[in-house]
Amino acid sequence: MLSVLSYGRLVARAVLGGLSQTDGRDYSLVTASYGFGKDFRKGILKKGMCYGDDACFIARHKSADVLGVADGVGGWRDYGVDPSQFSTTLMRTCERLVKEGRFTPSSPVGILTSGYYELLQNKVPLLGSSTACIVVLDRQSHQLHTCNLGDSGFLVVRGGEVVHRSDEQQHYFNTPFQLSIAPPGAEGVVLSDSPDAADSSSFDVQLGDIILTASDGLFDNMPDYMILQELKKLKSANYDSVQQTAQSIAKQAHELAYDPNYMSPFAQFACDNGLNVRGGKPDDITVLLSVVAEYTD
Amino acid sequence: MERRQSCYMNTYFEEVKPSCMWLGLSGTRGEALSSRRAVESGQRTALPVSVEIDQYAIEVLDFSSHYGSENSMSYTMRNLAGGPNVYPSFGDFTQTAVFRAYGTWWEQCASAPPPFHRTPKSFHSQDYIELAFEEPVYPTAVEVLETYHPGAIVQITACSLNPFSQNPPADVRWEVLWAGEPTKVLTPQARQFSPSIKQLSFPTNLIRLEANSSLLKYYTELDAVVLRGQRERPIMSLYKMPRIDICDLSDSDEELLDPGTSFRRAGDEKYMDLVNGYFDRLPYELIQLIVSHLTLPDLCRLAQTCKLFHQHCCDPLQYTQLSLQPYWPRLNDSSLGYLQSRCTLLQRLNLSWTGGRGALTLTGFSSFMKACGGNLVCLELSCCHFLNEVCLEVISQTCSGLQELNLSSCDRLHPQAFTHISNLTRLRRLVLYRTKIEQTAMLSILTFCTELRHLNLGSCVMIEDYDVVVSMLAVRCRSLRSLDLWRCRNLTERGLAELAVGCRLLEELDLGWCSTLQSSSGCFQHLACNLPHLRKLFLTANRTVCDSDIEELAANCHALQHLDILGTRMVTSTSLRKLLQACPKLLLLDVSFCSQVDARIVQELSGLFPNVAIKKSFTQ
Repeated sequence: MLSVLSYGRLVARAVLGGLSQTDGRDYSLVTASYGFGKDFRKGILKKGMCYGDDACFIARHKSADVLGVADGVGGWRDYGVDPSQFSTTLMRTCERLVKEGRFTPSSPVGILTSGYYELLQNKVPLLGSSTACIVVLDRQSHQLHTCNLGDSGFLVVRGGEVVHRSDEQQHYFNTPFQLSIAPPGAEGVVLSDSPDAADSSSFDVQLGDIILTASDGLFDNMPDYMILQELKKLKSANYDSVQQTAQSIAKQAHELAYDPNYMSPFAQFACDNGLNVRGGKPDDITVLLSVVAEYTD
Repeated sequence: MERRQSCYMNTYFEEVKPSCMWLGLSGTRGEALSSRRAVESGQRTALPVSVEIDQYAIEVLDFSSHYGSENSMSYTMRNLAGGPNVYPSFGDFTQTAVFRAYGTWWEQCASAPPPFHRTPKSFHSQDYIELAFEEPVYPTAVEVLETYHPGAIVQITACSLNPFSQNPPADVRWEVLWAGEPTKVLTPQARQFSPSIKQLSFPTNLIRLEANSSLLKYYTELDAVVLRGQRERPIMSLYKMPRIDICDLSDSDEELLDPGTSFRRAGDEKYMDLVNGYFDRLPYELIQLIVSHLTLPDLCRLAQTCKLFHQHCCDPLQYTQLSLQPYWPRLNDSSLGYLQSRCTLLQRLNLSWTGGRGALTLTGFSSFMKACGGNLVCLELSCCHFLNEVCLEVISQTCSGLQELNLSSCDRLHPQAFTHISNLTRLRRLVLYRTKIEQTAMLSILTFCTELRHLNLGSCVMIEDYDVVVSMLAVRCRSLRSLDLWRCRNLTERGLAELAVGCRLLEELDLGWCSTLQSSSGCFQHLACNLPHLRKLFLTANRTVCDSDIEELAANCHALQHLDILGTRMVTSTSLRKLLQACPKLLLLDVSFCSQVDARIVQELSGLFPNVAIKKSFTQ
């Protein structure tokens, strides 16, 4: 937790043109999560960090802070498979990998690959699929390493502008890249992308940078300028402020999702592709909001 | 306090006077640390307060087996390090440590070796784990959190060596903190097993657990181990004096095994007739028979009593079978040296678990082998970390008649070492579970060791293409009776088809976790049609096993005794019923995590077929 004074110092430094690369302090992410499951009956928090068919995790290790979001593909419900089982188990497994130090901070794809491999080692016959986005902050090197498979993703905001973002990976409309475990015999029919297909990127971050990791429920309903507007309200890097902002972003996206007249990014994209639709996109929404801050034990 | 990944939980003795109120038990870690510092500097209290600390293991150093895959976090021994993940829940969870086997199912198989003579009744251990903790302490308690089918722990030992020290001392002592019988617990509850342990005279941060799961109905699973102890040596008067263990009297095997010359007295001759009492009247063979029931330490002690017994106890006929596994903490090069003269007729030798941390070296081992290995038929070297390539070369040169070789979990053995095994052309049983053998060495062994009956390649991760290996087996080793291919990740229906055709005498086949086998290729049905003698078939976690496969087994494999089809969604009770009716000898059927076989069906089938143990594990 930063005191007002020390945060003021940080803001001043950041404003004065960034910190030098030789800054020896360790960084950390102050992260809060919020979300809404599409199906209200399931409740907001199923088993913790799970919003409908979306799942996420926040993990600390002495070398890195790691976040992950996985959007369970809802189509499995039609075949009697609970789509949240795959995404939840994947995220919990990745969390465990990080906590036990079985990962390399510079390779979030490694976390995804190991996590997916561990799903196959479970006695329980898991079925389902999900997208996945993993973000790793290396404390010492001040680098953010990311990987993204599918249409979840992240934004990095600095000084009120988006400086980095992930790209959506789609096979075709509304069919993102996904990790999957298919029932026997259906392997040829079910879409199954390898963790290697994920997009990876690495870049430097500065104190005060804001990282927003979310499922497509957010990005399909809220365009960048609206998200940036909400982020302007984030005044400090303490957990309560971050939590408040995350909550307000998620709530706003949730409202817009059910607005039938609103021209959401999803509707815009559909129109661009010849489908004449309007309105938001009801979907599970998961928001992980992080601020880069100094590392305190 | 929320549970943390850190290894320390500070607790205090109840003797701390409440006048120092702020030395509370409920303070945060920061407060507790500062208060302890104050205590240690003697500021606040006149009483000497001994600080007792709790630690979780920080590293698993060594173990004999595990259920999971080598690089995985699921069901592997690595899960025993760190805090609990599952406790107090009871169930079959991935985050626990699980051994490879349970019950007596594996002992019932033809691939299991007969037990060794002279195994002491107090030796029950089947598996072991060695755990390192951060700080050496004088232990006051060891707690094992068992979260599934408790009861397997049979021994807890502590080592005087600090595994992290840069300058290890020359002598390494192991003390038994507690030993007991294998048990099973009837209530389905997680258990915190904390037997009363012996007081140690040295601090330790290396604990070894030994386990025996033979009474358990399913795999036991362990979540964490807590070592509770004091940094400072406890004041002796506060505790009752430690019982002097009779085994401690003779401190080292050298004394036991060294014949010594003290018992030769002058003037014996005129008392020759009465020197040994009625023992002189007994025929030689009878005394040999009596003495054959003694355990090895007793045999060595008896040898020191008089000339007659010395003769009997050193007679090589007493040493045709020798198991040194129960004495693993005390066996070293000199002990082996003393045994050499007696072991010239040695046929079966068990050195499993021995020789670690420099106790046995190449010199001692090869000297013993060269003296005694000529007639060896069976050599058990499971978890023998002292072995290197030259040792295997020595074995291959001296033990030309060797029929059984067990190198289970010798995972530090260099891949090059295995090439020497091809010289042992009379081999019938070869166990290479969890070794780093590579494909070329394996193919070479299969080319020359054509009499193989039992082959275990479980978790041999360095073999690149199992189809090639299995094809070679099918061509060269036609007398094969049992084959363990547990976790052989790239075996396909091609290899399996050739195996079914080439090794018609196959009785046991373990294809657990071989995920590349697809039932749709017909490989399991082909197997069933071609292997009528099949007694054991494990298809664990092959998600493609379906009703047609079970029906084919029912139609062809009437000798079936053990079947494991864990984790398939495709099998229904209809085919299982057919199987149970067609296979009267069936004893074990594992249908855990089979989604179409629920508890109700299991109960019904168990009622109809009471001789079959139907296993249905759960996660909850």
